[in-house]
Amino acid sequence: MRSSSASKRSKQGNHYYFWVGVFIFIVISVVLSLYFSALQIDYTWRWYRIPKYFAYNERVEVKADMDGKVESIIKKDHKAIITVKGPQESASYTAPKGTLQVEKGDTIYDGDILATYKIWRVGILLQGLWLTLKVSVIAIVFGIVIGLFSGLARISSNPALKWTAITYIEMIRGSPLLVQIFIWYFVLGTLINNILIKHGMGQISALWFGVAALAGFTGAYVAEMVRAGIQSIHRGQTEAARSLGMTYVKSMRYVILPQALRRILPPLAGQFISLIKDSSLLGIIAIRELTKATREVVTTSLQPFELWFVCALLYLVLTFTLSMALQYLERRQLAV
Amino acid sequence: MIDVKNISKTFVSHSTEVKALVNITAKIDPGEVVVVLGPSGSGKSTFIRCLNYLNVADEGSIIINGIDILDPKTDINKVRADVGMVFQSFNLFPHKTVLENVTLAPIVVRKVPKQEAVKKGMALLKKVGIQDKADVYPDQLSGGQQQRVAIARALAMEPKVMLFDEPTSALDPEMVGEVLDVMKNLAREGMTMVVVTHEMGFAREVADRVIFMDEGAIVEVGTPEHFFSNPTHERTKLFLSQIL
Repeated sequence: MRSSSASKRSKQGNHYYFWVGVFIFIVISVVLSLYFSALQIDYTWRWYRIPKYFAYNERVEVKADMDGKVESIIKKDHKAIITVKGPQESASYTAPKGTLQVEKGDTIYDGDILATYKIWRVGILLQGLWLTLKVSVIAIVFGIVIGLFSGLARISSNPALKWTAITYIEMIRGSPLLVQIFIWYFVLGTLINNILIKHGMGQISALWFGVAALAGFTGAYVAEMVRAGIQSIHRGQTEAARSLGMTYVKSMRYVILPQALRRILPPLAGQFISLIKDSSLLGIIAIRELTKATREVVTTSLQPFELWFVCALLYLVLTFTLSMALQYLERRQLAV
Repeated sequence: MIDVKNISKTFVSHSTEVKALVNITAKIDPGEVVVVLGPSGSGKSTFIRCLNYLNVADEGSIIINGIDILDPKTDINKVRADVGMVFQSFNLFPHKTVLENVTLAPIVVRKVPKQEAVKKGMALLKKVGIQDKADVYPDQLSGGQQQRVAIARALAMEPKVMLFDEPTSALDPEMVGEVLDVMKNLAREGMTMVVVTHEMGFAREVADRVIFMDEGAIVEVGTPEHFFSNPTHERTKLFLSQIL
């Protein structure tokens, strides 16, 4: 495949490289026109301001909150414990070794700095990215489970199972995800949390209603894929399995589903990529995922151009990684 | 072993009714090889599928090993485990290796320990002459090889009776022989077999009895000698004149 396209390329010769050149030209002109349009409105690009939203170095000061004398400094491993003895009481402070600004016997007043050091903190964008990843992974796992069972219910001959599945799938697929998120948070969330309060139990956070909305949404689409996957497997497979004495459940588990899941892997991958992107809607119910985090940073930093590009890039990293991982799975299965 | 009494089966699709089986009664004794012949559409496949509950007879009774399989209280999976079935289109599991195809049902249905199932499976693959392909996937095998694996897969459950539904019809002519040889060996070992086929040579050589069906009914039953040399019914004569 690769060698044939390479040989084609050499035959086409200059034409091929001409069009490669056109592609590069298009990319560069888009970037440049963006840059010069930004100049028109006097936008100043400040890319150097971006890294601190991923991680930043915070200066920490250890301050005394009483008057007294440094009674002892005990150094242990990487830490130093400073004990200050006042007229009535004594207190101890901990700081990394080598950052101390006092010595034994020093007189200390309230508010004096005993030590200063810097530590790395995770920035808000990285926190948002992590939350997006977490929400997506949980929703994907639940989405698969919900989708598998409602897909099986969908093809069941039992009307209760079948119609429940159809109602669920049609309702989810027929309404906007944003509305579903609102219903989960403002309607179901209010109901559930109020009932929990009445029974003296803890509250469920917005995060979990967001996850529920995404998982329920994805589940409906996965269900249809599972149904199509199962129905695409030839009847003879079920007959062969059943004729060997396998029950319905066993024939599904060992014969039909492994084949069906293999077949629906590509559309499943697309669905999960959609889910990662759709998680950006969760900001609307105060879940600080990547998009919400970016919005917050934009309002404080006033660098919207850089930040939104960075935001898009981060989503791309997530979706691209997932799509690569699933492609790998698919190839490995085809090799079998 | 198999006792079929007055079964009928009608397929209904889009308000047209097709009578596939009309009042069939037959008895198959242990160790007997019964070949079912008949023109296409005569209901012979429906008949053999009814014996494994893949089609459900509308009326009558089917007793297999003393169990009435049409009784709603019967656990059909238990009956099926003792009845091997070989299909026209092989129906091997494409996601499993040849050996796994053979060992899957003993492991998950009979709860045979894996090691034991593998040992037995290899022996069966050797028996059907395909042990060197144990670790390949079915799509790398020829049709004849696939059908032999399918026979080994059915035998792995140690069935008391084997049902063959046109086992050689989907095969290239040069592969028919290898599958028939396996079936002949099986018959020689005393396996009870019901075979739906178009292979007259097999019927003549191996069958203890031949059942001839037409339009969903049994027209004639007899030994191969009787059936091929002096059939009684006109319909049988016509059929034989068309194919021989």
